[in-house]
Amino acid sequence: MFNRSAQDSQSSITEADGRESTTAVRLEGVTHQYGSSGGRLRSSDERTVTALRNVSFDVAMGSIVGLEGPSGSGKSTILHAVAGLLVPTDGRVRLCGTDLTALSDAERTRMRRRHIGIVFQRFHLLPSLSARANVALPLVQAGISRSDRRARATTLLEAVGLGDRTTHLPGELSGGERQRVAIARALSTDPDVIVADEPTGELDTATGTDVLELLTDIGRDRAVVVASHDAATLSVADRVITLRDGRVNDVR
Amino acid sequence: MSDEADDLPDGLETRRRRRWTGLIGLTFSRWWQRASGTTAGRIISTVAAVALTIAFLLVVTGIALSLADGGMTAADDATVRITPEDQSTLSSVDGVEGPRLGATNERASEIRAHDGVAHASPVLIETGRLEVADSDPQTVRLVGVVSDDEPRTVAGLPTDRLEAGDPHYANGSYDGSRAGEIVLSRTAADRLDASAGDEVTVLTGPVRSANLSMTVTAVAETDGGEDGAPVALVHASELQSLSGAADGQLADRMVVWGDDDDARSAAADAYPDASVAVTGTADPTALFDDGLAFATSVIALVVGVTICASFVATTMGMTVDEDRRTLAVLESIGVPARGRLAVIAISTGITTLVGSFVGVGLGAAGIAAVNAAASATVAPGAVAQFHPLFVPYGIAVALLSGLVAVPYPLAVAARTSVLAEVGR
Repeated sequence: MFNRSAQDSQSSITEADGRESTTAVRLEGVTHQYGSSGGRLRSSDERTVTALRNVSFDVAMGSIVGLEGPSGSGKSTILHAVAGLLVPTDGRVRLCGTDLTALSDAERTRMRRRHIGIVFQRFHLLPSLSARANVALPLVQAGISRSDRRARATTLLEAVGLGDRTTHLPGELSGGERQRVAIARALSTDPDVIVADEPTGELDTATGTDVLELLTDIGRDRAVVVASHDAATLSVADRVITLRDGRVNDVR
Repeated sequence: MSDEADDLPDGLETRRRRRWTGLIGLTFSRWWQRASGTTAGRIISTVAAVALTIAFLLVVTGIALSLADGGMTAADDATVRITPEDQSTLSSVDGVEGPRLGATNERASEIRAHDGVAHASPVLIETGRLEVADSDPQTVRLVGVVSDDEPRTVAGLPTDRLEAGDPHYANGSYDGSRAGEIVLSRTAADRLDASAGDEVTVLTGPVRSANLSMTVTAVAETDGGEDGAPVALVHASELQSLSGAADGQLADRMVVWGDDDDARSAAADAYPDASVAVTGTADPTALFDDGLAFATSVIALVVGVTICASFVATTMGMTVDEDRRTLAVLESIGVPARGRLAVIAISTGITTLVGSFVGVGLGAAGIAAVNAAASATVAPGAVAQFHPLFVPYGIAVALLSGLVAVPYPLAVAARTSVLAEVGR
């Protein structure tokens, strides 16, 4: 259902040095400290919290990697680093061969637009836009024509089983339907990597199962990184990384 | 890896245009949904603030325009008004004379000879002191005109209550017989305690001759002027002789009745270097020629922009503050800072634009209300005038205010942290 075109679905990435690789995401010795201002470390006398300590792992194309661990273990920080929403204090984050830590804000935003789809626990749909408009939103910045945006959004909504809800506002949808709209939005630019933060956290078991089936389907030819406390959610992962106090504690 | 955006067959320019069109469409869509939804309060209050400010600006400017356009003494029903290019209505207020038209009686005759022109008259305005019997002298605005048999209005008074023609002019010799007639406004008559048939004596003031007697031919309600002002109509040549304006046949303006085009053509032929305006609509350029009116309108503009910009900045800043999550979502899906700030700027622009439309309507209604209130109380007639140019003026001022205000909501938006808003 979510299979990519033959050209897009090749499970390899051309690295900066020209090598072919199947690695979509690579974290190399990533450490991150939050300053008291909530952002990057600004001065040594600020009260800081170390969220990640020397974390390294790869995520290959066509695989799903789960992140588990207690609250504050660093799961969300890893997702944000992979999505280019934050720059770690130390280490490197490579996305499709590009070192995100070496890029400017604008360049990271561009990388995110081209290569990343994000699924939030709380959906974060724009309440004043219809389901279709929400799904089409990332395509606006991509410079896609209006008719193509609508067609693509409609196709994706049909694919997640919401073909009859395209004109509904998020407030008119159930939690499961909203999350499916959010997943469709994350897929709209056909990204290489999907990061999902507690994608079933706000859903009941049955609805959560539907969403996990979607993620499994999506993960066939993309890299998916999913953070969750929920064992059922992590069961769809090919590999689960357990974090504790910002460190990789276990990989299974 | 997918590079859909970059691999589009369309050119860079096409994608850029679609991107901006999409962002503008997105902003419009969000704005409308919010303005028509249950959370419309802040947008409505911003629109209302802009609208009230623009309405206030237009009402004050309308009053200034009315002042600059001549006010009471310009209350005539002529088709075309000819004035010196550098005229100033303050001259008749502060006693300093401004430029006047010359050879007016002679050229009025020439204009009257044109096809399509019904009548033409010089209009000379002087301040004089009048006395009736043993009553106290009163200061009255004397307006000199040449009447005909048709009912016409100058300075809000009927000219046909004067004898038709201007016998004292006598082809420029100013030695013809004096009609000695005067038409008083109700206020002038009340102050002089005069009525039709009474003898009125012209005393002092700028008028050189004293003790010139005139007969009140009528006491009339002013039409379209300020009923509270003491005004009197006399024959033009007699006032010219009294004031010394006979040398050069001077007058403050010329008024012409007839077909619009013919009257304007005749007026332009007679005074190619003067300002020829079809009456019925005020001439907004008059604002620049009148110091008081100009100052009033400028103050209204400055106050309007200041209030409007302050309110827009505050309310839009609050709106953006509440809308940080949306900005964070836009950032998370790859909309760059420029695009996100554009959404805020466009939202502010839409709000001020809608406010300006409402404000122009309210301004027009306000001017009508001011005139109605004035008519019902102390000053019947138009004390404020609306001009079609007020529409673009109001919109431009609102947009200028939005431009002044927009840095604040943009600053609020720029401080948004995506992690703080959409992080768990």
